Amino acid sequence: MELRRYVIRRLVQIVIIFFVILTVLFMLFRLAPGDPVSRMVDPDMTPEDSERLIAELGLNRPLWIQYVVYVKNFVTGNFGHSFHYGEPVVHIIGNRLPNTILLFTTSIILSALVGVFLGKIASWHKGEKTDTFMTIGALATHTVFLPWLALILIWVFAYKLAWFPITGMISEEVWLDPDAGFVMKALDVMQHMILPLATLFLIHFGAYLLIMRSSMLETLKEDYILTARAKGLEEKVIRDRHAAPNAALPVVTSIGLSLAFSINGGALTETVFTWPGIGRELVFSVSHNDYPLAQACFLLIALVVLISNLVVDVLYAYLDPRIRY
Amino acid sequence: MERRISERFRSVGFLREGWAIFRESLLGKIGLILLILFALMAVSSFIPPRIDPMYHPMTGVDPEISSSVGPSLRHWLGTDFMGRDILSQLLAGARVAFMVGVSAAFMSIFLGTAIGMFAGYAGRAMDTLLMRLADMIMVMPTLLVVLILSSLFGQLNIWTIVLIIALFRWPGVSRVIRAQTLSLKQRPFIEAAKVAGASHLRIIFRHIMPNVLPLAFLYMTFRVTSAIIIEAALAFLGFGDPGTVSWGMMLQWVWKTGHMFRAPYWLLPPGICISLITLSFYMLGRAMDEVLDPRLRREGEAE
Repeated sequence: MELRRYVIRRLVQIVIIFFVILTVLFMLFRLAPGDPVSRMVDPDMTPEDSERLIAELGLNRPLWIQYVVYVKNFVTGNFGHSFHYGEPVVHIIGNRLPNTILLFTTSIILSALVGVFLGKIASWHKGEKTDTFMTIGALATHTVFLPWLALILIWVFAYKLAWFPITGMISEEVWLDPDAGFVMKALDVMQHMILPLATLFLIHFGAYLLIMRSSMLETLKEDYILTARAKGLEEKVIRDRHAAPNAALPVVTSIGLSLAFSINGGALTETVFTWPGIGRELVFSVSHNDYPLAQACFLLIALVVLISNLVVDVLYAYLDPRIRY
Repeated sequence: MERRISERFRSVGFLREGWAIFRESLLGKIGLILLILFALMAVSSFIPPRIDPMYHPMTGVDPEISSSVGPSLRHWLGTDFMGRDILSQLLAGARVAFMVGVSAAFMSIFLGTAIGMFAGYAGRAMDTLLMRLADMIMVMPTLLVVLILSSLFGQLNIWTIVLIIALFRWPGVSRVIRAQTLSLKQRPFIEAAKVAGASHLRIIFRHIMPNVLPLAFLYMTFRVTSAIIIEAALAFLGFGDPGTVSWGMMLQWVWKTGHMFRAPYWLLPPGICISLITLSFYMLGRAMDEVLDPRLRREGEAE
């Protein structure tokens, strides 16, 4: 019951924050140098079409009416047409979102699991060679410059060794082949996904490893670990059943806290691998002055970050019964 | 805990003790040595253009070379697609990285400290408002924000980029400073200052600031790394300052001119430099954490 009240309060906060972002973006689009109309209306349109769109968006009317139309359009999911693709922005985003979610969630879950597992081992061997090696390794992979790592992986595994395709998400010959079944297509996507996934994984797992390691070291000082030892439990049981589950909680929090960082990385990865996701679309639309698409991608990413933070907090409350809101 | 930190800072033995722990910390030592090497690179970046104008990182072109050529005696790391010397670009990149990292970090620490102290001291509605603002800015992916701004305002110059990074990177610091200020506010010496008739400004600047500054500087190293990475990523995507030779810019040139499979002598150095400089600031930060308080260790890793 308390949890539900907490979730509702947070949802209200999210709506408010989102409106602030929406409004700031609206103002920025009108404050920026140049003609604001040219940012909403495709320069390649016929005069009649652009007249109609200007009237529709209220661009020839007072600012507050423009704002009302802007908010209404946003709430009803009408983001306008992309200049570059000439399609409704909603279609493009609906098309790209699943690809981003597939790559992003797989990489976060995988790196969190591996990070927790390795962090547990590092803390168990504190001060030994294993620990030093793991800590330095985690720091080094975590601080590698992501786009460069992506280029190196492409160079070695896709170009030199030719194990994986260089870019993209699907091979046309597989997807156009009428005989190719679901399994073939899934395997094809997986083959394309391995390198981008490896890039994101290598960047992220180190951070989780380090957090798990220090959290585990704190947990091992707790009284209940002493109790477990006094009961004569096996060391392995103490480590895996008593200490690790509690120590892993801060990792969950850190996923939420580092989400903004991860999203930057996701956009860079998608761009280098030309993975057809939201992040790449944002970079692409910004470099092609496709304002409606850029705006929609940005708002969508902001919304996703806000909601994911809530999900992480609720997950935390669910995992740790001591937390009550 | 917070009380202990500020007191340790004031004690005379702190510096010596801190240095002793620092010297024992492997990470701190490696980080410091690497940083000294990068500082040397930045300083020596002024030398090559003096030797010969063709070594100028931006405008210098070898008259005999007009494409990317591998390492030679004349060009130790080879040349880029226009025949510019890669080594002198790499040295200039070190200068830009320090400039961007340190100035953005300094500004965001300044903002974060000021806002944190103000929010903590003022309390009530002001505190709530500023902290909600901090929450909001904290969840924004800074790189994408800068991207959107550069699409609206056109090509951004390096100082504008630094300013935007600083404007979006203060919330983490301000939260810690606010917490520290809240606890300081309850302590007798602040009460005493109030009774003695000190103004709010005097209390903030003379009594609170000296106690929170050490903590603020701890965050500086982490801010340096994030600023360097954001600038590099921005330049890599093609939105950097076209008048600056940064490591991210060099990677953009390799990538965009399609030399990434052909010119390892050009692809490897800038990437290694960005990665190592972030690593060294990061290691330094962790070593400083250990000196200050082991319990703080978790905070910096969120970035």
